[in-house]
Amino acid sequence: MSDNNGYNPFAMAQAEFDRVAKGIGLDSGAVELLRNPMREYQFSIPVRLDDGTTQVFRGFRVQHNDACGPCKGGIRFHPQETIDTVRALAMWMTWKCAVADIPLGGGKGGVVCDPHHLSPREQEQICRGWIRQVCRDIGPNRDVPAPDIMTSAQHMLWMLDEYDVIHGGHYPGFITGKPVGMGGSLGRTQATGYGVVYTLREALKELSLEPDNTTASVQGFGNVAQYAIELYHRLGGTTVCVSCWDENEQISYSYRKKDGVDLKELRSVTDGFGGIDRKRASDLGYEVLKGGEWLAQEVDILMPSAIENQITGDNVTEIHKRVRVIAEGANGPTTPEADKVLKDHGVFVIPDFLANAGGVTCSYFEQVQSNLNYYWELGDVLGKLDVKMTSAYHDVSKVARRQKVPMRDAAYMVAIGRVASACRDRGWI
Amino acid sequence: MDEVQDLLGALRERAKELNCLYRVEKALAVVSGSPGSIIDEVLDAIGPGWQYPEICEARLLLDGEEWATPGFHKTPWTLSIPITVQGEVVGALAVCYTEARPHEDEGPFLKEEIRLIQSLADRLGHWVLYRKLESIGQKWREIGSAEARDTTPSWQILVDLLRETDEALYVRISRKMLNHLCSIGLAEAQSMLCGIDADHDPVNAGTGECNVPERHIASDHPLLVSGRPFDVAARNLSPEEIILRVQRWVQEDKAGIFLKVLDGPRSTLIELREALRRFHKIAPNGVGLPISTLKSVRVALSQRVLTEQLDFVQTAKDHVSVEFFRQIMDRIVMADDSHGKLGGKAAGMLLAHQILQNYGTKASESEEEVGSAEKARDSKVLASVRLPRTWYIASDAVLDFIAYNDLEDLLHQKYKSIDEVRRDYPNIIRLFKNSTFPPELVKGMGAVLDEFQGVPLIIRSSSLLEDRVGSAFSGKYKSLFLPNQGTKQECLEALLDAVAEVYASMFGPDPIQYRRERGVLEYDEQMGVLIQDVVGKRVGRYFFPAFAGVAFSRNEFRWSPRISREDGLVRMVPGLGTRAVDRTDDDYPCLLVPGKPDLRVNLAIDEIIRYSPRRLDVVNLEMNCFETLELQDLLNEVGEEYPMLTQIFCVREGDHLSRLISNLFDPTGHALVACFEGLRGRSEFVLQMRETLRILEEDLRCPVDVEFAHDGEHLYLLQCRPQSQADLVAPSPIPRDIPAGDIVFSADRYVSNCRIPEAKYVVYVDPDRYGELSTAALMKRVGRAVGELNKLLPKKQFILMGPGRWGSRGDIKLGVSVTYADINSTSLLIEVARRKSNYVPDVSFGTHFFQDLVEAGIGYLPLYPDDEGIQFNQLFLNRSENLLPELLPDFADLADVVKVIDVPEVTEGRILRILFNADLDEAVAYLADPGGELVSLQPAAGEVHKPMDQFWRWRRQMVDRIAAELDREKMGVKAFYLFGSVKNASAGPASDIDLLVHVTGDKSKEKELLDWLDGWSRCLAEFNYQRTGYRTDGLLDVHLVTDKDIENRSSFAVKIGAVTDAAQELPRPDEG
Repeated sequence: MSDNNGYNPFAMAQAEFDRVAKGIGLDSGAVELLRNPMREYQFSIPVRLDDGTTQVFRGFRVQHNDACGPCKGGIRFHPQETIDTVRALAMWMTWKCAVADIPLGGGKGGVVCDPHHLSPREQEQICRGWIRQVCRDIGPNRDVPAPDIMTSAQHMLWMLDEYDVIHGGHYPGFITGKPVGMGGSLGRTQATGYGVVYTLREALKELSLEPDNTTASVQGFGNVAQYAIELYHRLGGTTVCVSCWDENEQISYSYRKKDGVDLKELRSVTDGFGGIDRKRASDLGYEVLKGGEWLAQEVDILMPSAIENQITGDNVTEIHKRVRVIAEGANGPTTPEADKVLKDHGVFVIPDFLANAGGVTCSYFEQVQSNLNYYWELGDVLGKLDVKMTSAYHDVSKVARRQKVPMRDAAYMVAIGRVASACRDRGWI
Repeated sequence: MDEVQDLLGALRERAKELNCLYRVEKALAVVSGSPGSIIDEVLDAIGPGWQYPEICEARLLLDGEEWATPGFHKTPWTLSIPITVQGEVVGALAVCYTEARPHEDEGPFLKEEIRLIQSLADRLGHWVLYRKLESIGQKWREIGSAEARDTTPSWQILVDLLRETDEALYVRISRKMLNHLCSIGLAEAQSMLCGIDADHDPVNAGTGECNVPERHIASDHPLLVSGRPFDVAARNLSPEEIILRVQRWVQEDKAGIFLKVLDGPRSTLIELREALRRFHKIAPNGVGLPISTLKSVRVALSQRVLTEQLDFVQTAKDHVSVEFFRQIMDRIVMADDSHGKLGGKAAGMLLAHQILQNYGTKASESEEEVGSAEKARDSKVLASVRLPRTWYIASDAVLDFIAYNDLEDLLHQKYKSIDEVRRDYPNIIRLFKNSTFPPELVKGMGAVLDEFQGVPLIIRSSSLLEDRVGSAFSGKYKSLFLPNQGTKQECLEALLDAVAEVYASMFGPDPIQYRRERGVLEYDEQMGVLIQDVVGKRVGRYFFPAFAGVAFSRNEFRWSPRISREDGLVRMVPGLGTRAVDRTDDDYPCLLVPGKPDLRVNLAIDEIIRYSPRRLDVVNLEMNCFETLELQDLLNEVGEEYPMLTQIFCVREGDHLSRLISNLFDPTGHALVACFEGLRGRSEFVLQMRETLRILEEDLRCPVDVEFAHDGEHLYLLQCRPQSQADLVAPSPIPRDIPAGDIVFSADRYVSNCRIPEAKYVVYVDPDRYGELSTAALMKRVGRAVGELNKLLPKKQFILMGPGRWGSRGDIKLGVSVTYADINSTSLLIEVARRKSNYVPDVSFGTHFFQDLVEAGIGYLPLYPDDEGIQFNQLFLNRSENLLPELLPDFADLADVVKVIDVPEVTEGRILRILFNADLDEAVAYLADPGGELVSLQPAAGEVHKPMDQFWRWRRQMVDRIAAELDREKMGVKAFYLFGSVKNASAGPASDIDLLVHVTGDKSKEKELLDWLDGWSRCLAEFNYQRTGYRTDGLLDVHLVTDKDIENRSSFAVKIGAVTDAAQELPRPDEG
């Protein structure tokens, strides 16, 4: 399915891995093992459509590495899914779990299909068909799927049900992303945002900054941003600027209040997608600025928590001299070009796959609770999350200081190092 | 205590009166008794009903005979009331007191007693009529028994009876018999006919061979009166046949009288109504009449009452019954001399409902038959589709209204210039609202309100021109909601006010302009009005339907290849349908395809929520007004009382949407999403909608557009009309003689109807080159470049072509990453699916922002260049001069990926024309000369393209004028440029005028300049409003640039000397 020419996500992921592996002088056997997935499954899923015809869908599951524990990763429904995309994402999951130091490996799967053209019944058949094809090679102790692009909690429940039927029992720990009450975990909505701030808190400590005396500017006002702000305020910090996308005007705006954003107040004028009502915010006394202004604020902390590629070579110079820390709540908000500039300016960046690992950690908690068939209170979930995130942060930070590398490189190193050690301990290399 | 006594006394009297009525009724109900005994019984019952029964006597005079109680004699205290039968006085009923008594309301009698005697007289009249009819019936029965005894032939009795009762009819029947006998070739009859008229040649008669007019036979010819034709008949026909024929002719003859009224151009609606009532008595619903007669009755009724449009009548005659008209006629508010009709909207709605009813009933009946088709079973659900309770105001009532208020001048309004019409319109509304209605109309509407007490109403226009094929007039005339709360007087005033406003909308600029464009200005437009109850339920202090919307039998917005045009499309919203009919910019209706109800446009939870309705329209009964509410607020207030809650809403639990599967759910405090999950699949609603659209399109022989509402129990049909052009672009003929070299691309899969007559620019993202980009960041840059081009290129004059799915959120490799804002100015979005080594990537059908595309009217086409028989001119796309580096120097590095082709520039003035034909499933894009006539395959239904000339030409003249008037020295102006739509001659009614002024930078001069231009701007805005009705604060969009800007090529300075759409410098007056 892969093209030989042009952009290949898996080739890119391998190149990135090779760079870091070289940097830490990784054993050649380990490099050879880790640059490719351990196992790949490709199979056909025949489905009788509503109109009586049969269509055969192509399904995948890639298990990149399970040295640390059962593989973990989403299932995507995408019409142009390719094995290379799935491979790249499976490898990424291995590092992501490892940096958070959770006992899980990396996997990814998918089906080449476009759910826009399929009825729910047909989608259910695809889900069940997918499980029937790989049910012997996945499971709570082998490989744990989760929702991804164009799949939802509903798809997970269909898959879980099929798995349970085949195995004649209840295995809620087989899959994550389930609704609360159906084997889901509390704290999912808060996890990523809180996780960002747990790491931020530790970073501030290391930089000897008192949260009370710090100010922050946040890009985005969705789930991640809102909970990050909530926790940051509880620590004593002050947010002076928030930016968000205005769906009606198809443009983003920044909202500034120099003496501090009142989260409750701002939430009251925000829709379910983190869109702030410009007029009502303005009535509440917020200055409405251009979308890019959040970046240029005179603050100590920036939290890009919206989408990728927001801090680029073009705008990195607009960042105020006062900024000390950037905590990446979003995936890939900083381009490599900008990263270099930030490094030169001595800005401390908490990289995305460490800062936003709260999400995957909570999925891990969901799996643990499901396996125990005992579900924790919200406080328990968040407390355990704090412990996990804090220790993950310090592990990375130590390496960064010792190796004198930026946090991003250090996080990679920690992740790859952990997986390699597990392979060694198991006697694979 | 006296008061109590009085009250008790009065009550006692009422009881006596009631008792009297009861006894009389009982006496008259006896069927078998002799008339004398019955009347005696009645007279005995009367006395005790009066205040002083001991001195009360009664008498009845009937057909010259007299019956009386023993003591009756005429005294000064006598009440006498005539008894009438069918308008004729046949007797009188009298009551007297034999002694004087104290004075009451009328002499010694109470007013209640006067009413009582009146009722008794009426009742006796009915009784007499009944007895008469009974005796005729008896005679008929005797005919039957006479036949058995075989004395006189039964037909003879019948014919004799006819002669006695109605000689004229007898002669006509006699004549018919003669004709019949001739027609079956009886020589005897033919010679008889010759006898009547010596010149008559029975062989050649009627052939038209002879050019002399045939002679007329006098209707009272003695031969016909004598009944000789019957003698001949008796010898040649069986008695049964004679009876059968005579009976049928009698019936036909009576129907003929009705037809005379019906066809009489001068007969009024009221006469028609009366005739219908009589006709109903003779032949209920036309039973027993020949089919041809019935058909002509139905045609005539459709034409008189509904509309004169021929194709409508043609369909109507097969579906509407006489009974249908009889029922409608009782619900028309009209003047006594009205000749009006119900108008187009009413006609469309009534016919559509009738068609559905017929199918529904037929399906229910055929269900018992073994092996009935599934389709027929499905049609059964149609029987339960309802119409709201409706009253109609006849279309010519508006003329009465105008005449009553001496406003006839207004009828010439349509010939005024559109500016004048627009200026006058607000005054006309005011004038109409301050005018009075003729009393008969006020009375009629009062009666309407008696039926609709306290129910919210909608007052809808139903003009003669509305909802005809080719001029759907959608939304041109007004429809108004009335909460209808308060005292009857208040409600009546509000109703009259609303009707006046609907009337005034006849003189609004939009409909007049529209009629002008359609060439129906001369048509004598009249305005019928529908008064309907709003479909819905009272929930708390609000009134609204569970959901409502609009449905189209043809789907032009298909997001999946599995959806075909015939699958239809439903746009629906919770609450009143206004938000589904009109496009709202801040909210989306839910889309459902009745033919494929399980396919959803949106899948990811955030998409589902974003594109689900968030507000609803309701009638607020407390505030007596129409209101828009946040859905969530309403649900928090009314909770589970919301009708069909479980079918319409899903509950959001984190990132999971759950269907509601029981009524246990308490919606308050939960996040509910109106995604209509419970109505998908094979729900009754989907079946009803699918069958409705299928059958209406089939029977009306054109794609239809239907408005509907559901009150939680029943589906109501509110409107049915031909699917309008705005929603249904006519398929274009695909020319077969295009030189191969001119074709840029062709397509033969998933083609919708759309048309891009003249595209000037093509933005082409080369799929191969895009696939070869090495990093995701470069791919992102392509998306950004497209976004910039979208801002830079003239609106709607360019098309976008690119690989796979535009706006892919997942893997960027699969399509250019853009948001809706990056493509919203394009006229067409093309997704190119090139064959990869062993597979062809699926295209997205614009899914991701599909609903945005729909609302913005952006066309969509998937292209499969590698399919057999498909043309794809790669050379043209790849080798034409690429403007990208010049347009966007910052993105010059992408020049081999993103191509921007200025079509006229590279083809010596030609343009790209793209024609779509969904019927053939074909589309072609080719280079053509600009202008030229574009043919549509459905000329009658073709949307008339407004001459755009009118909007830019005067703007351009004004700009020249401003340039001439501008004092450049005084205001520090170095140069003065025009750009944008006015320069490009593509300005529309709402376009502003983009000016670029190169200034010296002197701030005070600059201020003076801006003030001066602001004056022009406001003035032109007003001018534009007068012409078009578009209200803006100012019409000029002024951009100032300085030397420095030009040097840096920053902001709008890039327009000066730009490669495309460059600003045009306007000469100084002296250079002129």
